[in-house]
Amino acid sequence: MLSHNVIFGKGKIFHFGPMGVAIISSYGIVITLKSTGSFALAFLVGLVCALLISAVFAWLSVKLEPDALGVITLAMHIAILNIAINWTSLTRGALGIPGVPRLSFFSSNTTLSITMAVVAVLWIIFMLYLDRSSFGRQISALAEHEWYAKSIGISKIKTNFIAFFIYALGITIVTFFSMQYLTILHPNDFMFPAFIFYITCELAGKPGSVLGVSLAIALLVILKEGLRFMPVPTGLTGPLELIIFGVILFVAVWWRRDSVFPNTRSV
Amino acid sequence: MQLLANALIAGSLAALIAGGLSLVYGTLGVFNMALGQMVLFGGYVTWFLHIQMEIPLLVSIFGGAIFGALLSWFTFEVFINPFYKRHRFLPLVTTIALSMILDGLILIIFKSSPKMILKGLKNTVEIFGATISIEQIALIAFTVLILCSFAYVLHSTSIGRKIRAVVQHPQAAMSLGIRSPQLHRLIFIFSGVLASFGGIFIGIDQSLSPVLGFPITIKAYAAIIAGGRGHFWGAIICAYLIALIEQLVVGIPLLPGGNYIPAGYQHSVALFFIIVFLIFKPTGLFCSRLRTA
Repeated sequence: MLSHNVIFGKGKIFHFGPMGVAIISSYGIVITLKSTGSFALAFLVGLVCALLISAVFAWLSVKLEPDALGVITLAMHIAILNIAINWTSLTRGALGIPGVPRLSFFSSNTTLSITMAVVAVLWIIFMLYLDRSSFGRQISALAEHEWYAKSIGISKIKTNFIAFFIYALGITIVTFFSMQYLTILHPNDFMFPAFIFYITCELAGKPGSVLGVSLAIALLVILKEGLRFMPVPTGLTGPLELIIFGVILFVAVWWRRDSVFPNTRSV
Repeated sequence: MQLLANALIAGSLAALIAGGLSLVYGTLGVFNMALGQMVLFGGYVTWFLHIQMEIPLLVSIFGGAIFGALLSWFTFEVFINPFYKRHRFLPLVTTIALSMILDGLILIIFKSSPKMILKGLKNTVEIFGATISIEQIALIAFTVLILCSFAYVLHSTSIGRKIRAVVQHPQAAMSLGIRSPQLHRLIFIFSGVLASFGGIFIGIDQSLSPVLGFPITIKAYAAIIAGGRGHFWGAIICAYLIALIEQLVVGIPLLPGGNYIPAGYQHSVALFFIIVFLIFKPTGLFCSRLRTA
């Protein structure tokens, strides 16, 4: 999510297809793992798959207008999901792929949780470093005023490709660990509402802010999980979650309506 | 012939929804991601009035259309108007929020089980070898009537000229004294009414289900992207074209050995349209680039 924050929050790039990257990376990891049993190879295959599809998205981000990019990345996400559901000989379709092997080091959930927490902290530190680096300044400059940024030598193609490749690395790490935790890969985990949760966290935490988005993620995940324990009928939990998060997203956009897509400064 | 009949039915539904949306996108430049849910709400309200309240069908349809207009008005005033003046991409996110809220409300109020506005078996007739129900013929005829009426308004009345002027060049239209903000509101409400009729169409012909919302939105956007921004008739034609191709893709043995493409890929046709047109012809089939000084 923090890596998507680099693209959408900082770069103002309308990438609405992060779930599409996640699907390809996940299936690459799981299918390789079940076929070969090698965790390193599975991670590598997942990473390569994520990089390839991210390269396509990066190319589109350079070629298209922002609203067109949003629609096309969304369409590609749904198309990839359709293929994952209908290519039953490879993916088992809507049944998903159960029985994903776990590393022996992650034999207990406690060990896995601690490892994931450490990796998350390291990723936040990496994002903070990136935010303050020349790359962070370049992507901000492109978002603020593309022409001026190009005039001082910032390459939109190079910057966008790096941003999308960072996202590919982040999503591969996430999908690898989530498969280790869940031990089942199901296409329902990659539907559009999952992406809306991303956007809600980024907007609530302030687009582009690493610490803000990290805090928003923590709070909204606690809220999401806490809703399960609320004394409401089981059938109402899902719809209630949709409404609450829809309202949170709307309030976040209204609150940050001047900073989500800031007006270009002019002389 | 059956495939053509199916395409005509599906295309009429898509044309109703895409037509109004093309005007909204053409004038405001705004993507309404809650369109599918607004379509469903129109159908569900009609179902409630006709089945639960036992109100006659025509009155229920009128009630569903009124509700659609009110919902669109509310959507415009709360989720669109305060935001699109600041940046035209903000409503994209606010309407995503609205779509989530409407999805939740549909599940709470109407539950997840499919709902049909007209129950029981339908009376079918055979026309040139294609089997079609009386209700489907009525729906196609109604769609043609609505589109023809709108064609008359758009091309033969002063308000239609104003709409076309705002679609072609909003700033030039305002400089001639056309009140664009009021026209934007009117166009948005009209698109909501058309969307409601689409939902009523689905409820009569098939059944209403909460999962239909997002695919409807995507299909409508495929039609307007392929037709060209703001081109009303382009969106209508492309809606029928997409419906026809969807039927042909799964209805004709295209794979080696006389095999059919799995039906699950049928809805990917709309996605394919979006991807191909945005990459190779972003202005759409019927539009050229806006002339500028």
